[in-house]
Amino acid sequence: MKSIKIFLSLIFALSAAMGFSQNPDSANLPKKPINIKLCYNSTLIYGGARAGAEFQVKAVSASRIRKSGRESFYVKELLIGPTLSWYHHPGFHDNVYLTICSIWRRTKSTCFFTEFSPEIGYSRTFLGGTTYLVNGSGRVSVEKLAGYNYAFLSIGEGFGYDFSKSKSLPLMICLKINMMAMYPYNSTLYLRPAMEAGFIYKLRDEK
Amino acid sequence: MKSKLVVGILILILAACQKETISMGTGESQTFYVDSNGASMRVLVEGNLISHVFLIFVHGGPGSSSLPYNTEYISQHLENKYGIVYLDQRNAGASQGNFNGSGLNLTQMTTDLRNIILVIKKRYGDDSRIFLLGHSFGGLLTASYLTTYYIDGMVNGWLFVDGSHNYPLNDTLTREKLLNTGNEQIYLKKHVKEWQEIVTWCNDHPGNFTLDQSHQMESFAGAAETYIDEVTQIDPVASNMGLALKEQWPLTSMLMNYLYTSNAAFIKDLYKTSFSSQLKRVKVPTLLLFGEYDFTCPLGLGDDIFNRIGTLDVSMGISYKSGHEMMFQDPEFFCREVAGFIELHR
Repeated sequence: MKSIKIFLSLIFALSAAMGFSQNPDSANLPKKPINIKLCYNSTLIYGGARAGAEFQVKAVSASRIRKSGRESFYVKELLIGPTLSWYHHPGFHDNVYLTICSIWRRTKSTCFFTEFSPEIGYSRTFLGGTTYLVNGSGRVSVEKLAGYNYAFLSIGEGFGYDFSKSKSLPLMICLKINMMAMYPYNSTLYLRPAMEAGFIYKLRDEK
Repeated sequence: MKSKLVVGILILILAACQKETISMGTGESQTFYVDSNGASMRVLVEGNLISHVFLIFVHGGPGSSSLPYNTEYISQHLENKYGIVYLDQRNAGASQGNFNGSGLNLTQMTTDLRNIILVIKKRYGDDSRIFLLGHSFGGLLTASYLTTYYIDGMVNGWLFVDGSHNYPLNDTLTREKLLNTGNEQIYLKKHVKEWQEIVTWCNDHPGNFTLDQSHQMESFAGAAETYIDEVTQIDPVASNMGLALKEQWPLTSMLMNYLYTSNAAFIKDLYKTSFSSQLKRVKVPTLLLFGEYDFTCPLGLGDDIFNRIGTLDVSMGISYKSGHEMMFQDPEFFCREVAGFIELHR
């Protein structure tokens, strides 16, 4: 019960963060870009979803001279934000995880970008079937919302395309591979690869 | 508004996770979990549940999984007759938990098995007929259960397939079989180089084996059956790949659990464990099945059970084309013997 309360508190915290732009106090803050991300989240062949917000912490424009002598321009950004994800593995578990994500994104002048993102957070699994508990005297009962809490880490590499630069659409598409780790899973580490594909909507672009 | 939406979606997800209707058809596939001292063990029940006969596969390892037993052949020849229970032991396969390594011992695993039988009886009815099938390490676990809870009377039959109930005797018999077969094969000029290495090692290690030596022999035993022409050779990767996708195996969970459990501290206790002296407590009908070329658990272990068990209703079957994995190497023989035994004692 305690874990459920913690979990719901985190959900509300995320919801508040996602509604950040509607906060009257936000008018006093520097106008930095905010993105909303919505992705299909797949672990191997098992589907799920992923939603989050990205707040720009810093952005640097830079250029470098290629071997050909041409100068290429790019923008390096650091973004931070909460992400709520879920996948469904039938018969095994449903996993809901809330993370804080740091994203190092590098967007070229061609509008293509690459990114690297470590995440840290909390995972709650829900077992993939009715769960029974047997007490010392052999009495069997059904356990509601059975599952486990885990510390969660993930590292991801991805790429995408930013339409806001080429077509003035406040939208990006992205594809990313993540390797997630949960601990303590049966006294050891649980690893699982995941793939996300989706859209990033630019709620507020640079002023 | 957004927060309400998120919470609403979440409630729907959670409700979907736990909803289940227990049906009793002829082609069922049902998954449930049994919580026991920090571990949630996955139980997959497939097949004909109208029969009210349940055959529980207790897998080997420790640390492997019951999921590979769920082959097409077993589906067609056993699941059509009975409910087949593919159980993943604690810290194995699809079983889940947090810090539960302290519960990883034979006593707790024996209690877990009892809890799972209680749940099956509760879920499918007290009139359910329960048969325990122990393979490899599962032989030790089922022997532990049947010599501990022998007065419970919840089990109607014991099937012991390429299993071990006495690890020290197991090591002695494995060495003996490797040595005898090795010398024969060298005489026949078959895989001389490989057998020579095994025979030399066995000659250098006559007894009082350490855990490392026991593991070395297990490794030789696994390799040895691949040197025998009569044994049906199986490619575990090729034969499991399709099954893994179809049955939605949690592959990384199976791998991480295996790596942890196969190196856990309780392995040191296991290799000195024996139930030979307690077998007279076992009164249930028993079928002993061994591969003629099983070096890992040689059929001498079956002779020991046959001579010591507390029932006269005991029989032994030998497959002449299998080693340690009879259900994959000689599935026709395996299914025929298992079904024949259950029909006699259901």
